[in-house]
Amino acid sequence: MRTPMSVLRLPRGPDPNSRGFDPDSPRFIALCSTTISSSTDTETDSVQIGEEQCARSMLRESFLRTLIAMTNKQVQFYMYERVKVNAVFVASDIDVLNFQVSDLQTPIGVQKEALLRCQDVILYSFDL
Amino acid sequence: MFLLKGVLSIQAQSTLSNTFNLQFVFCTETKVSMAMRQTPLTCSGHTRPVVDLAFSGITPYGYFLISACKDGKPMLRQGDTGDWIGTFLGHKGAVWGATLNKEATKAATAAADFTAKVWDAVSGDEVLTLAHKHIVKSVNFTQDSSCLLTGGNDKTIRIYDINKPEAEPQEITGHTSAIKKALWCNNDTQILSAADDKTVRLWDRTSTAVVKQLSFDMSVSSMEYIPDGEVLVITYGKTIAFYNALSLDLIKTVDAPASIHSASLHPDKDFFVAGGDDFKLYKYDYSTKEELESYKGHFGPVHCVRFSPDGELYASGSEDGTLRLWQTEVGKTYGLWKCVLPGEFALFHIEH
Repeated sequence: MRTPMSVLRLPRGPDPNSRGFDPDSPRFIALCSTTISSSTDTETDSVQIGEEQCARSMLRESFLRTLIAMTNKQVQFYMYERVKVNAVFVASDIDVLNFQVSDLQTPIGVQKEALLRCQDVILYSFDL
Repeated sequence: MFLLKGVLSIQAQSTLSNTFNLQFVFCTETKVSMAMRQTPLTCSGHTRPVVDLAFSGITPYGYFLISACKDGKPMLRQGDTGDWIGTFLGHKGAVWGATLNKEATKAATAAADFTAKVWDAVSGDEVLTLAHKHIVKSVNFTQDSSCLLTGGNDKTIRIYDINKPEAEPQEITGHTSAIKKALWCNNDTQILSAADDKTVRLWDRTSTAVVKQLSFDMSVSSMEYIPDGEVLVITYGKTIAFYNALSLDLIKTVDAPASIHSASLHPDKDFFVAGGDDFKLYKYDYSTKEELESYKGHFGPVHCVRFSPDGELYASGSEDGTLRLWQTEVGKTYGLWKCVLPGEFALFHIEH
């Protein structure tokens, strides 16, 4: 009668709230300097990386503020295959992969609630 | 083998001038039997069948495993524990092939959305999208990660320079059916491809001409290339076949009890494992071709199986949506497996 091999624990499964790649892991800290490939190519020094980071945080903050400003407004989405739709923007998911919209005007009718895949959107515009 | 009597508490001074408090918990006089039963580790997370998996080389941070899944979300895991590290998000269709470069810094995936993508395997970010004209089935990096080989349903093998992605890829045509797998071989100077046209072809990279061709009575289900020793492992029907990768001369074939979808040869070439339609994993002795063990566990056909780079475990991916990790030597303490001796004996050591 063979004894089953003991296991310390089960393998950890995916985190339902994030896509992983923990930035605090030793591997990430050691191997990820900046995420702009041009910086790593030209071997920018720490001052330039600092400036780059400032610019990036400013841009990110502006982007997030536009998402807030867009809430409950009519937005025109220009998408691939010459698709242009109007909808009321409700929210974005954390990774900006999907936009939740209401009253999406489509050629086959108005969709009360819908999710737009951000990858399919080329540009969107709205009036402030 | 251990023989112990009574309860002992020892305080010992080690050479590193740390005092250890050794406590033997629950000792009995017992002779240890080394026959342990395999306990596979199940990695959950995918919601559809797992169709391909690949290990990286051994890096300073261990080794890694990538799994391709029909749910479109390939995952990166720590190779020795199966712990999830991250999910590569971006594909819009089933992912048919996935690979990691040796250093596990880059990943590549092949999908039904007609693209192959290259990813940063540390941050999870998408680095490149390479558009194709049909479903992409296979991706493979060169040793220096500078070029990516792709193959798929448009029957064309393509070579992309990752540093110049806008440049047109080099194309190699000839297959008359969808390509299942395309692999670099012979120090990245040649390419091996297996297609639904029931052939395996060896191509010269520079001339793009066929060097040699193998024909079969049925479609090849999988192909694995072992650079060290130049061995090619091919599966078709119930057969696992081993070829010399340079000459395509047959070394040996082994028949399994059921239709085999994938097989992998141990780095030391003493064992190989195979899995297929009957949901089981089979372990064979490579020299004697003897079936050593078979393991039940998956709830669906096994689509892919690969040995880890250190040969200590092998991973299988199944129609049931899970990956399972299996010990090569059952009973050894490795990764999450811990050898706990019968009689519930455990040794603790507390460092002061």
